[in-house]
Amino acid sequence: MTIGDFAATANVPITAPPETPKLPPREWVKANLFSSWFNSTLTVVTAVLLLAIFRGLLGFLFNPERQWHATATNLRLLMTHGYPEEQYLRIWVCFAVILTLTGISMAVWRAGSAMPLTGLGRKLVATGSTFALLTVLAPFSTRATVIWLLITAAVAVGGETLRRFVDDERTMSTLAILTITLAGVVASLWVIPYGRHTYVMHRSPTTLHEPGTVALSTKFPWTIMLLVAVGAYFVGIFLRDRLPANPLRGTLVTLWLLAPPALVFLVVRDPDFDTGHVVGTDIPIFLAYAVLGGGLLLWLTRPSTGEIGRIVAAVVLLAGFATFLTPMRMIVRIDMLMLAAFALAAPTFAGGPQARKRYTASWLGVLGVTSWLITAVNTPMTVDVPRDFPLGGFSLTLMVAIFTIVFSFPLGVALALARTSTMPIFRLLATGFIEVVRGIPLVTVLFFFSVVVPLFLPDGMEITEISAVIVGYTLFSAAYLAENVRGGLQSVTRGQHEAAEAVGMTASQKTVFIVLPQALRVSIPPLVGHCIGVFKETSLMAIIGLFDILYIARNVIPNQFEYLGSTKENVIFVSLVYWIFAYQMSKASMRLERRTGLGER
Amino acid sequence: MTAPTTQERVSQRVPLWRDVIVLKWVSQVSLLAATVAAMWFLATQAGDNLVARNIPTDFGFLEEPVMIQLSEGIDTHPDTGARALWVGMVNTIRMAVAGIFFATVLGMIVGLARLSDNWLVRRLGTMWVEIFRNTPLLVQMIFYFSVLTTLPRVGLGTGPINGWLHISNKGISMPRVFIADGFYQWAIVIFIGAVAAHYVRRHRQRIHDETGANTSPTLWALGTITVFGLVGLLIHPMFSWLGSVFDTIADLLDSIPNAAPQVLFSLAATGGAAVWIRRFLSARRSALGHLSLTDDDWFRMAFAALVSLAVVFLVVRWTGLSAWTLNSSRDLFEVMANKFNVDGAARPFDAMRPDIVQKGRFPNYGKSGLTMSIGFAACFFAVVIYTSAFIGENIRGGILAVPKGQSEAANAVGLKRRHVLRHVVLPQAFRIILPPTGNQYLNLTKNTSLAVAVGYSDVFQTGTTVFNQTGRTLPVFAIWGLFYLSCSLTISVVVNWFNVRLKLVER
Repeated sequence: MTIGDFAATANVPITAPPETPKLPPREWVKANLFSSWFNSTLTVVTAVLLLAIFRGLLGFLFNPERQWHATATNLRLLMTHGYPEEQYLRIWVCFAVILTLTGISMAVWRAGSAMPLTGLGRKLVATGSTFALLTVLAPFSTRATVIWLLITAAVAVGGETLRRFVDDERTMSTLAILTITLAGVVASLWVIPYGRHTYVMHRSPTTLHEPGTVALSTKFPWTIMLLVAVGAYFVGIFLRDRLPANPLRGTLVTLWLLAPPALVFLVVRDPDFDTGHVVGTDIPIFLAYAVLGGGLLLWLTRPSTGEIGRIVAAVVLLAGFATFLTPMRMIVRIDMLMLAAFALAAPTFAGGPQARKRYTASWLGVLGVTSWLITAVNTPMTVDVPRDFPLGGFSLTLMVAIFTIVFSFPLGVALALARTSTMPIFRLLATGFIEVVRGIPLVTVLFFFSVVVPLFLPDGMEITEISAVIVGYTLFSAAYLAENVRGGLQSVTRGQHEAAEAVGMTASQKTVFIVLPQALRVSIPPLVGHCIGVFKETSLMAIIGLFDILYIARNVIPNQFEYLGSTKENVIFVSLVYWIFAYQMSKASMRLERRTGLGER
Repeated sequence: MTAPTTQERVSQRVPLWRDVIVLKWVSQVSLLAATVAAMWFLATQAGDNLVARNIPTDFGFLEEPVMIQLSEGIDTHPDTGARALWVGMVNTIRMAVAGIFFATVLGMIVGLARLSDNWLVRRLGTMWVEIFRNTPLLVQMIFYFSVLTTLPRVGLGTGPINGWLHISNKGISMPRVFIADGFYQWAIVIFIGAVAAHYVRRHRQRIHDETGANTSPTLWALGTITVFGLVGLLIHPMFSWLGSVFDTIADLLDSIPNAAPQVLFSLAATGGAAVWIRRFLSARRSALGHLSLTDDDWFRMAFAALVSLAVVFLVVRWTGLSAWTLNSSRDLFEVMANKFNVDGAARPFDAMRPDIVQKGRFPNYGKSGLTMSIGFAACFFAVVIYTSAFIGENIRGGILAVPKGQSEAANAVGLKRRHVLRHVVLPQAFRIILPPTGNQYLNLTKNTSLAVAVGYSDVFQTGTTVFNQTGRTLPVFAIWGLFYLSCSLTISVVVNWFNVRLKLVER
């Protein structure tokens, strides 16, 4: 079975296994809870335990001593730390861009599935009755208990109505259900008087509690965001129906890769570009590399170029190394090394005019993005933020997680290839690196990069603490990622290698076109697990004193005058945020596995 | 077609720059050279910068006195840097061992709960796994810590506590059973008992194999050990003569010159390499005695020789290593001798109740009880609960991975459900469970370093204190690296040993 066949079968719905016949409630309870005396005892003990746990938990959460205002008032601090309020539009723009991309991608990749309305009804009944039970257990006031019981009863009755009176065949998209739920939440911001809390930073800071709905600066942007997401989804449907699938998906993936650096360096930092320098230096360097490098690559990818091309590529590599020996702009050196890499890889991608054009275009794209990134990184920021870094709180967590995953992916794949290669020195170096990094804890690595690495740098070169920490995370994550990819590489059968050699592919062509696509496909489930791990590990930034969400929750808010000792509340909120993201990712990976039939080979 | 002559073969030879072997080695050597050059460059930079900033990089702080007060451990006021780090290491190992044990037990319960027939229990297991696996360990740890710190105060009355458990914002304290002076002599009795039990078990097993009677060999072996343990409580002082034996060995080690270990290590390294190369060559030799070596084989042999030469160089140049080996083995035997040279009537075990003392301004638990400090408890609960979710999933996956046909076949031959599990399903599942669980043990050990966030004095926290005080950043990093690497190595060696044993069981 080829990859194409797999892709074709991927969209075919896999028939569900035959359902076990549904038992009437009384028999179900007997079969699942009281089938033997041992099971009955177990059921009773577990039920008592669960009730005790829930009672304790609810008592803890709704204890009047809990300062939930601390979290509610400081939500902005938890999400973006000290980003200035008057510039906050930038954060919302970033969020809108990500939501737009999400909406379009959901439409293009046909996310979501149809859910039978009766199934939805059953879920609503279950949710309603669970919450009703919790309401009874919770130490609410009588009024709150009555209100909550009414709400849960309404949900349960609605579910029961759906279950009883709706045709079995009727279905609803899960996305529609999600949208309705979110719309309900957003609408509640406008209607329900959650109260309005403002933290005033003065000589003696105070918190203003006002009755009424939440501030306009909260509910208005969220409404817009919901509309943006829904709108983007419909745009995505429009594009999906009119454009060819593969270029569209390729463009979206590229946009996803470009979005994080573009948003961080362009939107959030609001860089102050020096037009004279950009026009006078950066653009000419870019143009020179674009024209000369593009011409070189067009010539190198011609199949008739032959041996002389390899020698030229080697000369470019030497020139790249030589640029480091003389004082020169960093951008010239980096571009030269990139050109050398492209030149060395050129014979692998040699072919007809179409292939040559595509290869040259990819060089121009990579060159453009790199040049722009280097220019943007070197341009000073204009936003006034504490500690000279625009992001903090949960946005910093997300940024570090995304950058780590994106950077460690190529590095990890390279390490995995080196470790499985037949060349002993490569194998030795890669194995040594992987095993050493896997043998030491992440905290020591992060400490090393935040404390020691600045000492290793040559004069005049500086690195911000966050960049150093991202490098540490990347190296650490690459070692683990390499092990996941290695498992995939080993699952590629010998026959595939031999077939590729038989049709005359070179070693690099075999790796790029035959082995890696199959290996990466197999390692998708462990790679998603790895991404979840990286996301959870970003919390370790708190130990080395970066202002991530955990640090703010533990060390900043509990020190505010009004909220002394509110650690528990904030940490519960933080764990909820982490849990929602990690749980959704693991659910998504399970869905992906089921949909593509991975692991059922 | 006839075979090409040598002349023709030479003319058909590919040019040097297209020769695969040449290209392969050139690229490898150049990568190695580039790596070494980059490291050299960074190291010289670091050296210059460190000198410029007056940051020392020597290991002198290990001997120098430091002013460190640790929250807990075998020595809360260590007098030198080395002692402080050692206390931290012991604390880390304590946490790791306790964590691994309890995480395994809890993980088993979780894994079995997820496979239970009982809907409620199954749901509880799923909830446990999904909640604790998807929340970062550090967040959990800090949450437990913040809950524990708000527990009621320890109380003002000092003196022994009546009761089994005392919980307060200073920790959790319970009565302690500890090993007393006579323990080591008693351990010798137990060791002899274990040897005896092994033979008893084998004997009972043979009777079972010959006659088919139910001889319960494991029960018999346990019984033997118990008998030895009980009798040993009365007769253990008879082994006190071992003390003088150890004394003699320690004196003997003291008289050995420093050069002896050097010679021994060098001989071992070169001899080992020589034996390895000879075996390698004989493995490569064909049945007719014809030897053909690829470039890879040459590299391996050269590498082995190089490693042995490096070891010899290290041993000869670094005289401290052999002195340290001699001294520490002498110290070991002296300690052993001290353990045995005790009063004849010493008891192997003793027990004490927890107490509350007031040393400074605040009352705290005294040393007599077994006390978990708040930091220890937060870290311990966090790593145990977090890891148990992963181990539970491993166990569930392993049991589900055993083909259904196996248990069906076992049922078909009429085995009881209990025996199906014990003799058919679990042995096969264990083989699948062990490797990922070993990985979880490694993770747990490394994760104990997060204890720095809750103020537990593990090796990481102690190390940060030491380098903040002495300025020796790099040496402390080197010690951390070596310590954690050797912990990881130990665990993987143990897990691999079990793995190999299990593989041998497979037929």
